[in-house]
Amino acid sequence: MLTESQAGGAGAGGPKVFFREAIARALGEEMERDERVFLLGQDVAEFGGPYKETAGLFERFGAARVRNMPVAEGAIVGVAAGAAAAGMRPIACVTYMDLFTLCLDPLVNYAAKLRYKTGGQLHAPLVLKTTAGAKGQGVAHSQCLEAWLMNVPGLKVVAPSTAADAYGLLKAAIRDDGPVVFIDHKRLFPTTGFLQMQEIPLGRASLVRHGTAATIVTYSFMTHVVLEAAARLDQEGIATEVIDLRTLAPLDVETVCASVARTGALLTVEEGQVVCGVGAEIAFRVHERLPQARAARLGARRAPISSNPVLEAFCLPSVDRVRDAVKALLSA
Amino acid sequence: MNSANDILSEPDKPPAPADGLVELLRSMMLIRAFEERLMQMPRPGFQLLSSGEEAVAVGVCAALGPDDQLLSGGRAIGPALARGLEPHAVMAELQGKITGPCRGKGGRGHLAQPSAGFFGAHAVVGGNLTIAAGVALAAQLRRCSWIVACIFGDGACGAGALHETLNLAALWRLPLLLICCNNQYSVSTPVRQAIAPERLADLALPFGIPRQTVDGMDVVEVRQAARVATAAIRAGAGPFFLECVTYRFATHSTASRESRPPDEILLWRERCPIQRLAARLGAAGVLDQEGLAALQREVAALADAAAAHADAAPFPEPAEGLTDVD
Repeated sequence: MLTESQAGGAGAGGPKVFFREAIARALGEEMERDERVFLLGQDVAEFGGPYKETAGLFERFGAARVRNMPVAEGAIVGVAAGAAAAGMRPIACVTYMDLFTLCLDPLVNYAAKLRYKTGGQLHAPLVLKTTAGAKGQGVAHSQCLEAWLMNVPGLKVVAPSTAADAYGLLKAAIRDDGPVVFIDHKRLFPTTGFLQMQEIPLGRASLVRHGTAATIVTYSFMTHVVLEAAARLDQEGIATEVIDLRTLAPLDVETVCASVARTGALLTVEEGQVVCGVGAEIAFRVHERLPQARAARLGARRAPISSNPVLEAFCLPSVDRVRDAVKALLSA
Repeated sequence: MNSANDILSEPDKPPAPADGLVELLRSMMLIRAFEERLMQMPRPGFQLLSSGEEAVAVGVCAALGPDDQLLSGGRAIGPALARGLEPHAVMAELQGKITGPCRGKGGRGHLAQPSAGFFGAHAVVGGNLTIAAGVALAAQLRRCSWIVACIFGDGACGAGALHETLNLAALWRLPLLLICCNNQYSVSTPVRQAIAPERLADLALPFGIPRQTVDGMDVVEVRQAARVATAAIRAGAGPFFLECVTYRFATHSTASRESRPPDEILLWRERCPIQRLAARLGAAGVLDQEGLAALQREVAALADAAAAHADAAPFPEPAEGLTDVD
């Protein structure tokens, strides 16, 4: 597995940290900077977050600003949306993205529409931080549902793949007038990377690997899988370009199209389902501008993600599947 | 007949002192006249009417201060007008006109004017409960002195959001007045078929939240209960659950079929909160027939002016539909 120093390019300036530390650091700095910023979610206080990504914040900022919540995802997001509308800048933590099924009402029907439905009188500067991805936790704690959210006008969605991007995008998300859904990933927390100590604007993809044969567009943990596949393809004489989207809404179509214009072929790779997925959207947006380009998409096989390790691995995009998909695309 | 009756106040109860009662009457009459005028518009549109339930919104709003914030469910004409929003602006919003406070984009079910103390309606049943808790949390975190009131229907009492809100409000002692406007029906479904507790206010009991059930057709009783509740909330006692048993005079929406027994509708119409207060004020010598007629003319003129304004105001340009999105 490659580290994010390879994925993210020059790691100038900042210290080398774990992904989870990048999140805690961004949260702490923003809470220091702006007293309206506060955190609420399950296990975020003394426990330090399910993945230690809020470690140290309770000790620094106290129980009023680092608030443990009952296991009530609807209330976590609803309370955050109401507080955001009333002038605060909350970060609501929902432990697993699968549990968005329980909090879509305040997110989609209230927060995402608040500015519109009040004619600009109110808005909801809310960050909803959640953890996606498969790592042995079974059918209801493994999903990547970000494509659902991209469909909602008024929602921004970010899904970084490196510690530096997590730090920079989380800071930008907190400063944004939102709502922003910030998606991290179970398999990213143990990774390390160099911080770049700067905010990263929402809506800008990152070209993480140059190549000429095809463009692979991905995001979040799949960036690491794709980069490993790209390294193997390199050994077979196929140089692929890799784009890490970083932000899914708004989508950086410009960066993707500029690359596909050079390579003439596009493969999208996501961990979630391909039907009405992130890749489907990207492929069509590219097709609108570059109708000659070849395109293919890769994602999870169409089945629930089991906690059974054999079945989980079978469903997920792997280095081999990415490599095969690129070869199939180029020989089509 | 339903158990709501046992909390109905006696009609021959002695009249309260003339403590703003004419203003309460006028406020209720304005809501009634406004909705009657709305339904006479050439295209009234799909609406959720408050007629019959005026005493709940008016009684609650009489206990709120100018800096407090009110939230409501989708049946929001009564709450918005009772909170003091300008009738012409409300009418414009309901008619989709640009001069509405939400520039015509919120419309029925989503009226809002936070600058006037109306944080807003939200038409998802129960959808404003956790939002209201969040607004109250913001007030608490910012050490503001204002409080939050949230009106929701009996329909919301079956939703998990109420349980979650009661729990957090009690746990954090939020400055939150929860008003259950129990009109006894979720569209066609009687509350008896939908909610197990006989008194909806008892839902607050396990959380240790003080509660009261009042006759929601009696504005004086609603106001009195709301005054006691808001005083306690302002003093830092935490949330309060106020159930107001009431009845809507119209169908659930202007597009719904009537399903309620005609004799039941008739019975509740006889308990009209406006007629009741007018009779009380008449008996007390506070307001005679002429005074009542003058009030009626006044609110009718306001409703007419609101309708004329809304009629003349332009719709938004279609491109307005792409603003305030992100």
